[in-house]
Amino acid sequence: MTTSISLRGAGRRFGTAWALADVSLELEPGVIGLLGPNGAGKTTLLRLLATALPPSQGELTVLGRDPAVPAQRTEVRRRLGYLPQEIGFPRGFTAFAFVDYIAVLKEWTQPDRRHAEVRRVLDLVGVSGSSAKRLRAMSGGQRRRVALAQALLGSPPVLILDEPTAGVDPEQRAVLRTVLAELARTSTVVLSTHQTEDVAALCDRVVVLDRGRVRYDGQVTELVGRAAGRVWLADAPDPAASVSWRTGTGRYRNVAEDARSGVEHVEPSLEDAYLLLRGSEPGSGGLGGSTDRGQAEELTS
Amino acid sequence: MTAAAPATVAPAARARPTSLAVLARFEARRFTLNPIFLAAAALTAYILWDRQRGVVTDTNTVSVYPAIFLGGLGMVAAFWLTQSMRRSADALDVAPTSWPARTGAICLAAAIPLLCGCLSLLAIVIFQHVPGIWSYGALGTSAGVAAALSQTVVPALGGPLLGVALARWVRFPGAAVVLFLILYGWVTLTYTLAASHRHSTLIVMLRFFAPFAFFTEEDSPGRVETWRGSPWFFLGWQLCLCAVAVIVALLRGADPGLRTRLLRLLAGVLALTALLYALAVVGGWAYPVISTPGAAPVPIAG
Repeated sequence: MTTSISLRGAGRRFGTAWALADVSLELEPGVIGLLGPNGAGKTTLLRLLATALPPSQGELTVLGRDPAVPAQRTEVRRRLGYLPQEIGFPRGFTAFAFVDYIAVLKEWTQPDRRHAEVRRVLDLVGVSGSSAKRLRAMSGGQRRRVALAQALLGSPPVLILDEPTAGVDPEQRAVLRTVLAELARTSTVVLSTHQTEDVAALCDRVVVLDRGRVRYDGQVTELVGRAAGRVWLADAPDPAASVSWRTGTGRYRNVAEDARSGVEHVEPSLEDAYLLLRGSEPGSGGLGGSTDRGQAEELTS
Repeated sequence: MTAAAPATVAPAARARPTSLAVLARFEARRFTLNPIFLAAAALTAYILWDRQRGVVTDTNTVSVYPAIFLGGLGMVAAFWLTQSMRRSADALDVAPTSWPARTGAICLAAAIPLLCGCLSLLAIVIFQHVPGIWSYGALGTSAGVAAALSQTVVPALGGPLLGVALARWVRFPGAAVVLFLILYGWVTLTYTLAASHRHSTLIVMLRFFAPFAFFTEEDSPGRVETWRGSPWFFLGWQLCLCAVAVIVALLRGADPGLRTRLLRLLAGVLALTALLYALAVVGGWAYPVISTPGAAPVPIAG
């Protein structure tokens, strides 16, 4: 399979602090999930891939082109869709006008084709019915979908998405998964999220970042497999567990770094595996003992 | 909502590289619909309509309004228009259309206020009732044309261009309003000083060190003072300031190669600007004169 994005020893420094260090990745068409705690360097990595930031060290090529060269950077940007983590909207714009403006910047100069494409992407994300509505009057979830729509313009071969499903309701998330999965047949979709279920549902491959370094890069199933035998249900929090929380059934879900026998094992989820990975990180301070679900989610975010 | 697969757009369906004209049209539409600019255009139209009901004895009382509204408020409108996209910068900055191209498009949209400035001048020439040829005092026809252009048309272009340059480099949202007040205050101050120190070269220099200047003053009904300085060279200085504003705006986000070329161009334009400024100060009438209809201009005693 053709490599779309190649990072070799790439890093990015802000002042004296390295937000990303020595990252080497070869990304191919498909959906690649990016997980990591806050401050892990996910957004910095995505901004590098989106050519919004140059690396301070190492090499980056996107679709075989070097973004450090202005002409090649423009070529890359013609084939790139990017959804930033936070996107503001200019005042007075409707959803259609905003995406239309971005389409002009993306060199869709013929009005008929441009407008058809804008309608198509707004339809894909489910806001075509509100396209004449001012962005200011839209809900956070709707605005997020409009932001995603601009990234989808032209079905780009490289799509960089920073938390695309944040604030989006479950039904819309399911639809967006369908859209992204379809697009990933031909495109490389890099998806950063705190929603491990999105990664489990969409991605074959997952990259876990921590403190600016790649902690794991591999198949989702392999990462989940590492948690096999380490997740079980019990009536009370198990002191041997790295983390445990009370589930909706009233029983406690326990996750431990060491495999346990003689307990009621359950199928591990990607979240369990991620928590284990985080807990085993030297210097991470571990995951701590018993907690409730909310605290566990905080740990993942 | 369509949950189906996204229809991949064939490369052939994609348009050719962005034409600056498409983006400029987009920006021109935004400029035209900007509430501040609409208010400025409406105020200009109202003032010109209101003034044509009587006889204009001092052109300064007419020409200043398009400058204030189209130039001053146009600057504020252009500033906010340019800054409005900052909120979406993360998404816009990775589009293939570069910052300088986007800036260039907004600069081209300044053709809208420029057009309004031209129409204002046309309205003044056609509809204002001016008694005789002395409305610009002792300035000849040619110099009078230059004065009219510099007071009515060029500010309508220069103000918005200055607003774009300011927005590209200054984040403070009120910067354009502050600059407008500073320029208004400066022009008023130097006008007042010029009226009381007609012979002072320093005052001429201060009066012309601005994007707008007066060349005449009505002394009494039918008597107009013409001050020192050349309207043609002042017009040149104004146009150079417009060019400086465009270059400074384009510098933001320019790639190293373009930046180098722009800096070289800026150096050349600045040198020309300084030259035209000097010529504006020393050119024209070497001393202030006073004129009355049908009589030769008379030097004003120092």
